[in-house]
Amino acid sequence: MLTVLCVLAAGDLHAQKRIGVIMTGDVPYYGAMHEAFVSELNRRYAGGEKIEIILQKPFPDSISWSNAARKLIAFDVDLIVAYGSPAIQAVIHEKSRIPLVYAGLYEPDHEEVAGKYATGCGFKVPLTSIIRYFKQLKPLTTLGIVYSSIEEDSVRQYEAMKDVAEQQGIRVAKIDIRVHADLEQLKTAKADAIFITGSSLAHLWLADIMTILRKPQVPVADIFPDDAEAGVLMTLSQPPHIQGEMAAGMAAKILRGEKPAKILACTFRDTELVFNLVEARHMGIDFPIHLLIEATRVIE
Amino acid sequence: MSRPPLSVRRFLLRLFLCLLLCLAAAADRPAAAEPEEELLIGIEPEHNIFEQMERYRYLAGYLSGQLRVQVKLTIMSRYGEVIERFKSLRLDGAFLTSYTATMGINELNLEPVVNPVNLNGQSTSQGYILVRKDSGIRAVEQMRGKSIVFVDPATVEGYLFPLAYLEQHGITDSNSFFHRFSFAGSHASAIFAVLDGRADIGAAKDTVYNRLVHNDPSIGQELEIIAQSPKVPEITLCIRKEIDPELRARLAEVLLTMDKTADGRKVLEQFKALRFVKSSKADFDGVMKMEQEARAAWRNTENN
Repeated sequence: MLTVLCVLAAGDLHAQKRIGVIMTGDVPYYGAMHEAFVSELNRRYAGGEKIEIILQKPFPDSISWSNAARKLIAFDVDLIVAYGSPAIQAVIHEKSRIPLVYAGLYEPDHEEVAGKYATGCGFKVPLTSIIRYFKQLKPLTTLGIVYSSIEEDSVRQYEAMKDVAEQQGIRVAKIDIRVHADLEQLKTAKADAIFITGSSLAHLWLADIMTILRKPQVPVADIFPDDAEAGVLMTLSQPPHIQGEMAAGMAAKILRGEKPAKILACTFRDTELVFNLVEARHMGIDFPIHLLIEATRVIE
Repeated sequence: MSRPPLSVRRFLLRLFLCLLLCLAAAADRPAAAEPEEELLIGIEPEHNIFEQMERYRYLAGYLSGQLRVQVKLTIMSRYGEVIERFKSLRLDGAFLTSYTATMGINELNLEPVVNPVNLNGQSTSQGYILVRKDSGIRAVEQMRGKSIVFVDPATVEGYLFPLAYLEQHGITDSNSFFHRFSFAGSHASAIFAVLDGRADIGAAKDTVYNRLVHNDPSIGQELEIIAQSPKVPEITLCIRKEIDPELRARLAEVLLTMDKTADGRKVLEQFKALRFVKSSKADFDGVMKMEQEARAAWRNTENN
């Protein structure tokens, strides 16, 4: 478990407020969200009260999430911010009275996060669009879905994608990642394309996943952005900074005394579509022009 | 909405040019004895211009043969270029969508000649305002602060109608009412933007929507149509008044009777139409009315 102390606003060594932050995993999506959170909070508190942030990036497993949540409760922070469903659920499970602001939660309406002490924001990505774009690139008989059965939101994304695929007569190959050795399943999945859910474990090992899939030239789609350009062919994702900024706004209100239950939670549905043409060329995939013009961004 | 990178746009432009050269050559074809007269006809771009140009190529070849006039095609790089193109390229006519046809009739005194009847038996189209079913948006008051995607300022279904609809509901300034508004460039792109969540609300025409749903029924399951415009002519062949009246009459005659001959029906099939029907200026009254209704919203959007 990695704990980082980050003090906003220099000067007084004794911070007046402390925020504990837990990421479901040390993945770039939550990293970008947190960066936007800190930046927005800095902006709101410029020249004002000192805020200390205790950031925890546990390895994605149940015990680590629980330990991270308990540690922040033991620190008696003024507010907990959690990114991603497993971290959020770990905090809620502890039944603390410390206010919680969540972000990066997939379909918040489908999780029991509402309560006296919690508010936050989440996102939803239309999974059918990913299948639609795959089908325009190559025949799709079997879709491999990478998820992690220990991450609740990843399981829901797996189930939603499976339903959509099966409705369209596409077989689904289930690739459950719990330990690194599970990546071996990718070698025998015989999928025409792979969809990666928002699993922290999958994203922790994204480079390894791409290495395995590059040889058989299996195209990959993801609902997190591939900012490191690991080789994902297309991403349809909700921009993380928007949730980070929204979470900062909510955190600021709570630190000023507003009750979390009075702050409306929200679900972001805006997305960005990115095609990686470098990867497409490597795979011998020709992107039709009418598809390319749909992209928010094209990696060349 | 961001545009694709410059290199992609340049690539598209090069493809346009190559395609035009090929089409001009193809339209030259009937030439047992090379006709001297020439008709240059413009086309407004659709989502898939390759497919579109293929369809029009057959029609141009057929008309060239029937009229003994070389019919050439040129694609306009975007909607609404009609006025400039008629002047700069000396177009003789163009297949125009209802907004540009109305502009052409009013500003250039173009003569509407015929409308194609599509494979569903329709020569008209209507605008839809669309949202994702899971968006929770069902009425104008729920659109505040959201993002909207139009097609192009020179489309009835993709711009004029949604502006008129918003104005009817008291919204005259899209800039302040919406968090963001953008233009997708084609009806299909506007629909895909809503499907993907790249925009919360979209406007597009029914014929494109129906075609997409026909090809992929999941699209219809995901989208909700919350408003529909009156019907307007979808595509109209408009011709300059200066064109020889005899040639104009022959052109109309060939198009209006092509469903009566085997060769004509074959071309119609490739053109994806059942037949052509006669068009008149009165067909565009509905567009003029919508334009008046949308006037304040249009002015406010243009000023920003």
